[in-house]
Amino acid sequence: MKVAGSGLKKIAGLAGPFVGLILVITIFSLMPEVSDRFLNLANIKSVATQSVIVALCALGMTLIIVSGGIDLSAASNLALSCVLVAYAINLGVPPLLAALVGVAAGGTIGFLNGFLITRLRLVPFIVTLGMMGIARGLAKWVARNQKIDAPLSWLNELMVRTSKPSWLLVSPGIWLMILFSLVMAVLLRKTVFGRHAFAVGSNELTARLCGVRTDRVKVVVYTISGLLCGLAGVMEFSRLTVGDPTVAMGLELDIIAAVVIGGGSLSGGEGSILGTLVGVFIMAFLRNGCTMMGWPNYFQEIIIGAIIIAAVTLDRLRHRQE
Amino acid sequence: MKPKVKFLPVIIFLLITVLIWTAAACRRGDKQSSGPRTYKVAVIPKGTTHEFWKAVHAGAVKAGQELGVEIFWKGPQKEDDRAQQITVVEDFISRRVDGIVLAPLDDRALMRPVDEAMREGIPVVIMDSNLQGDNYISFVATDNYQGGVLAARRLAEVLGGKGKIFLIRYLEGSASTTFREQGFLETITRDYPGIEFLVKDQFAGTTTESAYQLTENLLSRYPQVEGIFAPNESSTFGALRALQHFGLAGKVKLVGFDSSVKLIQALENNEIQGLALQDPMKMGYLAVKVLLDHIQGRPVEKRIDTGVTMATPENMNRPEIRSLLEPDFARYVR
Repeated sequence: MKVAGSGLKKIAGLAGPFVGLILVITIFSLMPEVSDRFLNLANIKSVATQSVIVALCALGMTLIIVSGGIDLSAASNLALSCVLVAYAINLGVPPLLAALVGVAAGGTIGFLNGFLITRLRLVPFIVTLGMMGIARGLAKWVARNQKIDAPLSWLNELMVRTSKPSWLLVSPGIWLMILFSLVMAVLLRKTVFGRHAFAVGSNELTARLCGVRTDRVKVVVYTISGLLCGLAGVMEFSRLTVGDPTVAMGLELDIIAAVVIGGGSLSGGEGSILGTLVGVFIMAFLRNGCTMMGWPNYFQEIIIGAIIIAAVTLDRLRHRQE
Repeated sequence: MKPKVKFLPVIIFLLITVLIWTAAACRRGDKQSSGPRTYKVAVIPKGTTHEFWKAVHAGAVKAGQELGVEIFWKGPQKEDDRAQQITVVEDFISRRVDGIVLAPLDDRALMRPVDEAMREGIPVVIMDSNLQGDNYISFVATDNYQGGVLAARRLAEVLGGKGKIFLIRYLEGSASTTFREQGFLETITRDYPGIEFLVKDQFAGTTTESAYQLTENLLSRYPQVEGIFAPNESSTFGALRALQHFGLAGKVKLVGFDSSVKLIQALENNEIQGLALQDPMKMGYLAVKVLLDHIQGRPVEKRIDTGVTMATPENMNRPEIRSLLEPDFARYVR
């Protein structure tokens, strides 16, 4: 199986995205206007904080893409969770419970995705496309088509640039991102479930013949991913301080792009957490650098588009060599 | 199969984490270089494609040229995306610009990034839309409530003081347009008892397309409508397109807000009876100027009004109205 390649091959597999990231960082740190600012620690922290939301969703998306699926509802799911947290806090629910409501809502949407995909035997693209509209609509409904103001609480300290208990050094959101990256990496590489996810994505029929309960694997995959989107929604609320049903419009494409840049294959069976994180950071640093340079937005949109195509092309070339 | 290989990503990841941590622990070394220099000011609009923001941009560039300030013009990547506007503010804090001019997309969500900038010694001037609290240098904007009042007077005038009208709202949470809607609503209710609202709680959304659809649906539902007020450029244009589509342009009186080439044409053709005009170039100019005044230690006022004027088919060719309808920004921006 691909998973068990030699160490060298694996490094080579990761090299592509890493080269991209190093390139982006080098280019901006050589720009005379921002050279002293770009690699400044405060800026790196700020980029990391900005990456938390996309990264959390992308972790789940990696799992889904590895298992041969796709989730277009990720960003809507996030928005729904964001709105529900604000709604719950306004009802007088303690912040921790409100956050759990958001995460649980994300998990429910994810579970529904998996359930419908396996029971109705529909392709994930269609089910999650439908769920994208449903979750976004629900979010707008809960919020009555407006944003929801909620009183400030400790939840809103999760995503600050300068961490509040200063011994944390970076914001709690970044620690959560690191924690869940580790958990997901272990889950994907070290557990039977992770093997099954790869097996389902590589060849579902064979996996089923080998005794993998493919439907159950898929439902769990989508549920985990949904939970992570829910958590990302809590982080989004933390950052915005309001529940905004229109937040993260189109973000699902950024999330998928991060996975793909990081070596995930849309035909399933491939992808890694580290690669995905590199993909997330490539886009975040690019955005940050373009802003610091004062470059117009269309620049960065064109560059990111080009990077997606280049990354996948490199990936294909590498495969052909193997 | 070498099991230790599978730990590789995890180990690399841990290493990076530890690196960040150690770097974080022993930092504090960024000093500001002193000496004479041009000031760098970030100007952050709500979006970059509306005509209105191009005029603001022109004003800011004009101020920059006159006062020797380098202007960074950067909006959120997607129009009206609150989260991305926060990101842009943070990135300019990292860049350590000398000051920020911000048109907040949300009166609440942008509070914290602005607090952060002020805390780090980067002065912030708010323009166009209000921000909750008062942790900023100055607020440079149109008196939007007054704009709504002007629009109400004009619509009542062309309707002869009676009729059935739509108030099309823009977007919940957008402070500037909410004030316009409020000024309009309160003036009509108070001063013109002969005018009846058929609709006053429907939101057009951020695009021309969404405003177009809303107005079409409303026109189908209430064919008896005689007048419409729309509180910004995109909703005015959407309403105009819908009226044109129904063959009602000119028959149903339309009073809008802000200008664009298409809206000016409609004003010429008497398809629009009034446009409440702000002075976006003046807004961009004054915002940068006030910021520089503050940076250089001169006292500034906390609230600066940039004025509203009503353009009508009758007065639109007067030079002072013309310059508001078509601000001469080609000299400053593309």
